[in-house]
Amino acid sequence: MTAISTSRAVPASRASRVLPRAATYVALSVAAFVSVFPFIWMMISSTNTSIDIIKGKATFGRAFSNNVANFFAQVDVPLVFWNSAKVAILATLLTIAVSSLAGYGFEMFRSKMRDRIYSLVLLTLMVPFAALMIPLFMMMGKAGLINTHIAILLPTVASAFIIFYFRQATKAFPTELRDAAKVDGLKEWQIFLYIYVPVMRSTYAAAFVIVFMMNWNNYLWPLIVLQSNDTKTITLVVSSLASAYYPDFGVVMIGTILATLPTLLVFFVMQRQFVAGMLGSVK
Amino acid sequence: MADVILKDIRKTFGVLDVIKGVDLDIKSGEFVVFVGPSGCGKSTLLRMIAGLEDITSGTLEIGGQVMNDVDPSKRGIAMVFQSYALYPHMTVRENMGFALRFAGQDKAEIARRVDAAAKILELGPLMDRKPKALSGGQRQRVAIGRAIVREPDVFLFDEPLSNLDAELRVHMRVEIARLHKELNATIVYVTHDQVEAMTLADKIVVLRAGIVEQVGAPLDLYDDPANLFVAGFIGSPRMNVFAGRVIGASGTSALVSLDGFADKEIAVPLQGPVPSAGTPIRLGIRPEHFTDAGEDSLSITIDMFEHLGGETFAYGRSTSGETIVVTTRNGRSLSTGHVLKAGFDPTRALLFAEDGKRIR
Ligand SMILES: Nc1ncnc2c1ncn2[C@@H]1O[C@H](COP(=O)(O)OP(=O)(O)OP(=O)(O)O)[C@@H](O)[C@H]1O
Ligand SMILES: [Mg+2]
Repeated sequence: MTAISTSRAVPASRASRVLPRAATYVALSVAAFVSVFPFIWMMISSTNTSIDIIKGKATFGRAFSNNVANFFAQVDVPLVFWNSAKVAILATLLTIAVSSLAGYGFEMFRSKMRDRIYSLVLLTLMVPFAALMIPLFMMMGKAGLINTHIAILLPTVASAFIIFYFRQATKAFPTELRDAAKVDGLKEWQIFLYIYVPVMRSTYAAAFVIVFMMNWNNYLWPLIVLQSNDTKTITLVVSSLASAYYPDFGVVMIGTILATLPTLLVFFVMQRQFVAGMLGSVK
Repeated sequence: MADVILKDIRKTFGVLDVIKGVDLDIKSGEFVVFVGPSGCGKSTLLRMIAGLEDITSGTLEIGGQVMNDVDPSKRGIAMVFQSYALYPHMTVRENMGFALRFAGQDKAEIARRVDAAAKILELGPLMDRKPKALSGGQRQRVAIGRAIVREPDVFLFDEPLSNLDAELRVHMRVEIARLHKELNATIVYVTHDQVEAMTLADKIVVLRAGIVEQVGAPLDLYDDPANLFVAGFIGSPRMNVFAGRVIGASGTSALVSLDGFADKEIAVPLQGPVPSAGTPIRLGIRPEHFTDAGEDSLSITIDMFEHLGGETFAYGRSTSGETIVVTTRNGRSLSTGHVLKAGFDPTRALLFAEDGKRIR
């Protein structure tokens, strides 16, 4: 209390202005280091031999090309990437299509049951995936979908979190725009497609980044349903390299870097829309 | 062009009755304004005409055809919204041509109509901008342009000027009046701005709580309101209302005494029978009907005044605590505490029953 009142009353001296700011920068630097360190360590380790990595060597080494060659020798890279890309892109597009329609519907249509159903949808957020795993696996088994990519897609498509995200964003979508479109002769699906989607495009971009990352990095469920090597995704392959009897950590690091690249790429390409979408599409 | 006829139109939202039986006859080419306090159902009624709200019961005819269940785009209407509702991802030109493009009009015809509307509204230099890059007034003009392009039988406006600043509002008001003349269109216009209603309307519809209180030409409503509500709603500052009672009759005039001005006897001429002595009444006198001359007068002690330059509103109180407003043209010499002799012509005073109904 006193500190605040003095610094307000007296014109702040140089020190009292610089010190809090310095503290902020120190805190931010620590946070930045903590979050970037694994990434740097991954880069450095990819150039070292497995033995050096275990020793904790933190400088660049000369084993990079060797590690890359080993990785490509052990892993069918094009197939694994194709599997990952197929699953992640399809899942993302389907999730966004289904969940944004649901979010739009929940916000636009009034009904007595609306909020009850919506609460139910949100309630599913509280059920941990671990509790769903076994029943889901049994369902997929009955449907004969084990070891197919469809088994990965189906449970992710209706995402309560993304429905919630779209409904919140839709609150900012002016209802008069929908009315104007109706007067202009658009049907509901046309309003959605020709007005809502373009107006909300930064919301879609942000959702795309989030959902793509979730799907690309998805590990547990694919681990359970994908059993043959020809269907496995990059996350599974890299982790199986790491859990081998004698893991070659240099090779693992190459895999990790390759697995990280697409999400980085998506993020950098869509960074601006992502931030705009998080702030809300409609201004 | 088309007539719009509402027959016993009702609307309920769940258990809430919002429109409670509205009958209305709007002639082709007429400019009709809905006024009324906030929440009285103006927008709801307009949206029912547009087809944006279902009609719970009653019939709506446009151009002789029952339109209750017809799609909004097929009713021959165009609507201008309070927030303009321009499509933010389209340029002005695309916004204006969207409905036609969507209806499959050919390109040349769309271009012709859009250019014609742009010319009327002087939108020329703005055609390739997005709505974000326009000022409020420009957006409003585009919204009107978008309506014009569709060449509707009926234009519907929901408080189109309420987001504009005072100066622009006056400007756009004049524009809309000009448009009405130029297009010779039927217009239904919602506002709660009195001046807009008085200046634009051929016919004003005063709504209260989902019921039509009175329909009439602006000056008819002003001169001859059907009840206290309309009398209070039309005219600014509000009409002064004094409680009193009938004390007798003199010919066709009612002799009235006011509670707040003891020993004052006012003879109000009536067309109909004079209520019996003792009947409680309300007497209404508009602030601008007080003059220096006038057969009768009230003495008012001024507590406060507002100089508007040309005229002055002087505020006072009767002995029973009723606020009185007097509009005067020579109010510069007034001061608080000053006793103003507010003369009036008793033929301009209006008599109302206690329940608010006019006694004519
Ligand atoms: N979709 C709806 N569901 C429930 N009630 C509604 C709905 N739309 C309007 N109402 C209610 O109907 C009444 C009339 O609303 P309306 O918007 O027509 O008023 P208004 O006269 O246009 O008021 P304003 O001058 O504030 O715009 C209000 O009490 C409002 O709360
Ligand atoms: Mg309204």
